[in-house]
Parts: sequence; C-alpha cells; structure tokens
Amino acid sequence: MMRVLYVLYGMAVLVGLSVAEYQGWSLTRISEVKNVPRSVRDNPGSYRSVYSSYHHYSGGK
Amino acid sequence: MSTGGPTPPGKPQAHALNCPGCGAALTVRSFNNAVTIVCDSCHSILDAKDPNLKILQQFKAATGKDRLVIPLGTRGKIRGIDYEVIGFERRTIHVEGVAYSWHEYVLFNPYKGFRYLTEYDGHWNDCSTLKALPEIVSFSSPPKVKYLGETYKHFQTARASTSFVLGEFPWQVRVGESVEVSDYVSPPRVLSSEQTGNEVIWSMGEYMLGKDVWKAFRLPGSPPVAVGVYENQPSPRSGEAKSIWRTFAFFLLALVILMIGFDLAASKDQVFTGYYRFDSNKRGEASFVTDDFEVKGHASNVELTTSTDVNNRWIYLNYALINEATGQAFDFGREVSYYHGYDSDGSWSEGSANDTVAVPRVPPGRYYLRVEPEGDVGNGTTYYTITIKRDVPQYSFYGIALGALLLPAIVFSWRALSFEHLRWAESDHPVITSGDDE
Repeated sequence: MMRVLYVLYGMAVLVGLSVAEYQGWSLTRISEVKNVPRSVRDNPGSYRSVYSSYHHYSGGK
Repeated sequence: MSTGGPTPPGKPQAHALNCPGCGAALTVRSFNNAVTIVCDSCHSILDAKDPNLKILQQFKAATGKDRLVIPLGTRGKIRGIDYEVIGFERRTIHVEGVAYSWHEYVLFNPYKGFRYLTEYDGHWNDCSTLKALPEIVSFSSPPKVKYLGETYKHFQTARASTSFVLGEFPWQVRVGESVEVSDYVSPPRVLSSEQTGNEVIWSMGEYMLGKDVWKAFRLPGSPPVAVGVYENQPSPRSGEAKSIWRTFAFFLLALVILMIGFDLAASKDQVFTGYYRFDSNKRGEASFVTDDFEVKGHASNVELTTSTDVNNRWIYLNYALINEATGQAFDFGREVSYYHGYDSDGSWSEGSANDTVAVPRVPPGRYYLRVEPEGDVGNGTTYYTITIKRDVPQYSFYGIALGALLLPAIVFSWRALSFEHLRWAESDHPVITSGDDE
C-alpha cells in the first residue's frame, strides 16, 4: 500500500518537474508588469522598477 | 522441548487412567508417546512409562495464575495438519531481577508427532525440534548460527526454569528444572537451543499472529493484543523500506533520464549580449535600454547572466525585460557583490562577481531590456556584461525533486530502524544510541 502511494507520489514529482522544465519555471522572484508604455524605449527614466531603491547590501565581513 | 518419533496407534482415541495421588481421572491423549503426565487436580507429575503411574513430583500452583487460552484437548490445524493440545507449561527467565514468563503448548498428531506453540505477551511461535544441528559461525559478534543456508543472529541467552506444567509431555518434565536457553533470530524465524549438561536440543520457531492461532484452533473471541516488538517478529517496516528504496532507484534513474533529455532538448540559444560600464560617481539618469532581440520557441525561461568586475564593492541592477509588442515586462533586481579579505581566522570571501537568474515562462516575441544600475557614490566605475540565453535547463529543480523523492525513503528507513531498535533493546545486544545514555 505504502509502495503504491510512493509510486504515485514519485510520479507526481517527476511530472511536476517535467512541467516546470518544459514551461520554464524559475525559483526567482520576478514581478510581471502589464502595459509598459512604449515611451520607455525612448525615455528609460520614465519607468521605475518595483525593485528600484531596494535595500542593498553595503559591506563585506 | 524434546521429542521422539511418535508411535501411531491403530485408531486415535483418548485413554482413561486414574491419578495414584488423588484418584482423579486422567485423560491420555498421546497414547504411549507421553513420558510424563500431570494431574490437573493434585498437580502430581506422573511417570507415564510406569504401569503404576509412579509419582515423580508434586508441586503447588496458584489456581488461576495460568489461564490456558487454548484448553487441553483442543484440536486445530497447523500447516494443514491436525494437532491436539495435550500439554501446557509456563517457563520463566530472570533478567536483572525481573521475571519474564512465557507459555508453551504441546501439540500432538499421532502420525506427525509433536510440535509446540509458544506465547509471550500476545506473540506466538510455531515451534518444532530440529533434526540437524545448526552450524556455528566462527568469530562473529554477535554470535551467529547457520541453518539451511539462513544466518541467525544471537539474541539472548538466559536460564529458563519450568514454573508450571499441565497435561502430557514427551519428556521427563519437572517443575523447577532449568536449562540454558539461547535464541538466535532471523525474523520471522528463531532457532532456540536448550542445554542441560552435555545435551543440547535445537528447535525452530516461526512467528504466528494471534489471529492465525485463533483461526487454526477455532477459538472464541479475539486473541490477546501483542505487546511491544518480539524477538523474531517480522518487521512490517523492513519490507516496506526495501520496496521504497527499490522504487526510489527507479525514480532516480528516471530523474537522470529526464535531466539528460531536457538538457539535450533545451535550445540554450544566446539571444543577447552587451558590454556596459557604470560610474557611480556620476550624477544623472543611469537607466538605459538595450537593442531589441528575438526570443523564440514556446513559452519558456530566459536566463540572464551578469558578469562584473566588482571587487570589495557591489552593484545593483534593476532589470525589466519588456515585450515590444505587448508591453508586458518581467521586472526584477539583482545585486552583484564580491568581498574578500584576511582576518584573524584567515582569508575569507563572500559573494561573487557574477550572477545568473532565470526569468520564468517568457512568451516568444521581440524584447528589449531596461537596465538601471545603482551603486554607492565613491565605488567608481564598474564594467559589466549582460548575456541572455533562451530555454536553459534549471538544475535546481532536479535537486528539489531528488530531495522530494528521497524524503519518504528516509522516513520509511527510519521507521524500519526504530522497529529493529525496539526488537534489539530486549536482547543481549541492544543498539546503543546517544539518547539511551540520558
């Protein structure tokens, strides 16, 4: 019984992996923005990234 | 336990006698195969081979202490053969001052002879004496014996004394007599040696479930619940764990095949590369856009690599991958920092001058990249290269899948080990773990 459950679980893992690989999933946090104005092409400063002025690391050890 | 070959009677029937001690009627079920008979009324142990049933021993027994769950005279089928319960004894060992008792039922078939059922805390064993001696495996720790190609590990050696008897026995039974009993296990079997002086008798037991005993003897009610883990109780977890690991091996192979397959199928096309510089001391708008580039194929990832010359400093890059036609943007930020030095602990380093990120599920189309670099004033000029590739396999998923497949297998193994830990905790060779010392 447990083996059957594990087989089903393992197959789900492999199918999930295949879907993730085929569709190109990523573990990185990416924000999707709709309808960015065409003016950005000519005026890059008119667009502000959601990550702009994000708290940055500022030193080593 | 001891047995000789049975002497089959012409026609199986009980034979009636009277106890010379109290005159009570005795029922002899094993015909002339019994060596001793115990009177149920006065607890006299009688010499069955003596025509006058000489009294060999009388013992006192507390009434009701030993409840026979299979009454004498009960018939049942073991391994397809009919047996009748003709005798019962309680045997006791003392370990560290604690008495442990188990029960043995003597079974008899006029054509097949004797076999025994033992019961301890609801755990049952179907036992029979061996016709050949097991082979002792030299220099093994714990000691081992081999029998019919199977290796048995020593479990326990103790002095067992007979503390109560009833019915018929194929040997000269006495209350109080003791033998050295050694058990060797290979679940679901156990080999037991009983040594008295120079005589050693070996028997083999096979674990039985209480419900199977009840079924075999058509006993009313339900069997007592088995308590704890018995020495030769087959582990339900062991087979499970082995089966799960075999399945895991199959999945691992499938995982490797998938990885090779996706790696071969992935286009990994480099769709863009650009070389840039950023002067953090310079004021003004730092953002810019790249030339546009074509992203082909089905919706898949794009992998953006930033290679910089940062050295004990950082640069932060706000990226927006923008679809020219739809205005859809994938917005993300990446910090690239690399620090290194030397202190009292020796040399150290932190971060990397390069960074790679996968942007998920990017539809095909023409794209450009908006880049907005940031850095501390005084960091000076940073040179960096941006490279974009389409449809790149993400190996981190394989690591996650491997972990997800491994986890249940580890849990099953841990459960199997816990079962074995409980089994061997009662043996002469307990498994010692750090937690046991506390």
